[in-house]
Amino acid sequence: MMQAAWNSLNAFFGPVALTLMVGLLLALGWVQVNALFLVWLERKVAGHIQLRIGPKEVGPFGLLQTVVDGVKLLAKELITPSAVSWPLFVLSPVLVFAPVLVAFVVIPFGEEFQIRDLNVGVMLVFAFGGLGVLAILMGGWASNNKYALLGAIRSVAQNVAYEIPLLLSAMAVVLMAGSLSFQKIVEAQAGVWFVFYQPVAALLYLVGATAETNRAPFDIPEAESELVAGFHTEYSGMRFALFFLAEYSNMFIVASVATALFFGGWRGPFLPGPWWFLLKVYLLIFGVIWVRWTFPRLRFDQLMNFSWKYLIPIGVANLVVTAVVLKFTR
Amino acid sequence: MNLLLRYIGEVTSGAWSLAAGMAVTLRYMFKPVTTVQYPRARLPLPEAFRGPVELRRLPETGDHGCVACGECARTCPSGVIKVQGLKARASDFNRARFYFIDFSRCSLCGLCVEVCPVQALMFSREYEQNGGSPQVGVADLLARIREARP
Amino acid sequence: MTPATPEPALRKTLTEETFFLNLGPQHPSTHGVLRLLLRLDGERIVTCQPVLGYSHRGHEHMAQNRTYLQFMPNPPRMDYLAGLMYNHAYCLAVERACGLEVPPRAIHIRLICAELNRISSHLLWFGAYLMDLGAFTPFLYAFDDREDILAILGEATGSRLTYSYCRFGGVARDINQAFIDGVRAFIPKMRARLKDYDTLVTKNIIFVNRTKGVGVISRERAKAHALTGPCLRASGTAFDIRKAEPYGFYPQFDFDIPVLTGGDCFDRYMIRLLEIEQSLRIVEQALNRLPAGPVKAEGVPQFITPPSGQYHFSYETARGHLGIFLVSDGSRVPYRMKWRVPSLSNLSILPVLLPGTLVADTIAILGSIDVVMPEIDR
Repeated sequence: MMQAAWNSLNAFFGPVALTLMVGLLLALGWVQVNALFLVWLERKVAGHIQLRIGPKEVGPFGLLQTVVDGVKLLAKELITPSAVSWPLFVLSPVLVFAPVLVAFVVIPFGEEFQIRDLNVGVMLVFAFGGLGVLAILMGGWASNNKYALLGAIRSVAQNVAYEIPLLLSAMAVVLMAGSLSFQKIVEAQAGVWFVFYQPVAALLYLVGATAETNRAPFDIPEAESELVAGFHTEYSGMRFALFFLAEYSNMFIVASVATALFFGGWRGPFLPGPWWFLLKVYLLIFGVIWVRWTFPRLRFDQLMNFSWKYLIPIGVANLVVTAVVLKFTR
Repeated sequence: MNLLLRYIGEVTSGAWSLAAGMAVTLRYMFKPVTTVQYPRARLPLPEAFRGPVELRRLPETGDHGCVACGECARTCPSGVIKVQGLKARASDFNRARFYFIDFSRCSLCGLCVEVCPVQALMFSREYEQNGGSPQVGVADLLARIREARP
Repeated sequence: MTPATPEPALRKTLTEETFFLNLGPQHPSTHGVLRLLLRLDGERIVTCQPVLGYSHRGHEHMAQNRTYLQFMPNPPRMDYLAGLMYNHAYCLAVERACGLEVPPRAIHIRLICAELNRISSHLLWFGAYLMDLGAFTPFLYAFDDREDILAILGEATGSRLTYSYCRFGGVARDINQAFIDGVRAFIPKMRARLKDYDTLVTKNIIFVNRTKGVGVISRERAKAHALTGPCLRASGTAFDIRKAEPYGFYPQFDFDIPVLTGGDCFDRYMIRLLEIEQSLRIVEQALNRLPAGPVKAEGVPQFITPPSGQYHFSYETARGHLGIFLVSDGSRVPYRMKWRVPSLSNLSILPVLLPGTLVADTIAILGSIDVVMPEIDR
């Protein structure tokens, strides 16, 4: 029965489109579950760092707390302030989600566990990652709120500055692997993970990724002690929840890319590939959460200085050294 | 060259300070939590705890000892105490017949307890009062002591 | 006629390049109900105008309508973070006016409580300041320590925030063993915590970059704006009422007045941590030489009446110089009571300090000055 349905769908759409559709549906579900889990993880880790215990009332260990919060946000009225430019205002939370879903297409959860292995996979992730900032700019601009506008402006400048070191560090890995396809990159790490060949690039990537996902200490666009809530000051209910969801899904994406680029992807002994992949991703995310609850926020101009004066020169130097070494060793 | 060395020194010392900070938070992460899960567990109240004022029950009579002198009502900074007494006979001590406090305006300073010449007042050990209207705060202390009587 | 708020006048000064931002009174980091009218050029501040008065309750007027004892619960409600100090200051002022003698045990207890209160106020400031800068965790560590102090003070006073503990001629009740044990356990714990704060915050490169060289107040400007307390001492002037016009038994204790010369946010931060250490020293000494005896003077009349005349008393609170000016006409009720609060003059430097800084610096500078709004608005 299932086989017959699958065959007829296959005949209608063709195998490529079908795997894409099913994969995206799965990704859509996974994004929600993952975000709920990550919010719980964040609150629990933050709690224990701060000598509290975090959520504990709803469900075992408070696991269902975020589900309940999600239901609350779903049930809330969607308030559209009268002075907003509403098409952009409404579109922005939807648009912020698109790059996340697209990036899921090429994430190599395992050898077989990938929606589609593109030969430009790394490019695809970074190219669509740049779209997220457009959604933030739209939301901040359309809100017609000064705090939101300041947040949006900050966000654009920050994303432009931090995509460069991100790409520079990824390029070093691409040079070593000789391919932009995630599967090829993971295969190239069969012996030694790239993090041991490229520790500087790995560090740059992690710093850049933290900034790219607007996480503390780089959460300038939504710095709550300065800009109230930054670009999503005027958003409430499910629209706010979408921004929230996108933030955590973005964390997952950048951690997955980091795992694939530097930490051997799905490679590991004993356990099947996807388990190793998820384990590494969540360990990285734990690190990001840990950083968030330790450091104060950078100031905006320092943030830009940090990228242009430290990250980008180091990234370029790293890339040049990598290229030269590769030229003479291969 | 000197500039480059200083640049590298800056980067490493900065990175080191960040790592040291992360070590602190990691250490705290494995410390026991210090919070008390309030409705399920409570902190012990200090001996001196100043709860809403109530009348002290004298063990010998089982009743309050208020003589309705009105000192508390005169001292109260917010003027929230109303007390009125009545004598059964002319030679008797005065006895409080009405004792009302509006706790919604009381600041729990405890001056009434201190000025009472017969120590008829004391602090209760309650701290979970709430209500939906200002009238909820008006307490009849005589009724409370009557209810509490075994 | 001048407009009620300066807002319309400010709007007229706007040009194409600048815009107007109303920071507060409900902004998360204006610490209560301060409202700042900012004219911005991008993220850079062109002018700043503080608007006060959102929590005006008329404490000074209330003082003229009640007896001295009845006014006792009011002072802690002006500065709710250092309530015991305000209580202490008020009692000292009235005692000075009446020439009341206080038993030595009561003086020691008052000093211990006041210094503990200073530590708790500085701890809350520390946490809130770090939160303003975006670090949430130190806030909860500071609250963990502050909770210890509140429990200790609760043991003595029965209250956690608006202690009405001091009385004319003494304190309301004697301390018990739990209080003494609590303080003895707290001092080493706090000292260990200060080391953690040092690694977690003071040496952190992000924090240092956020605060070093930001909001620099020169020594002269600090004097010109009558800054007091940590803000003044961070600018290089060693002025502390506890040394300059000592009250209580402060001259008998061995403690230093920390002075730094940078005058920036980092020094204002540092000076408070150093003051916590000095306060711990005072508490330790006071506890060691705590005498026995009564905690309240005998024969204090219920309606205390200072002889008619004018009195002034200075007190060093956690935020600086608190001055109480008292005019008595010899009756049970004060004729006039004027409170010179430290936060108001400390805040007065803001319009001079802010222009040219960024929005993020505004928060850092405002936080470093440590204003308590109800004290300003009274």
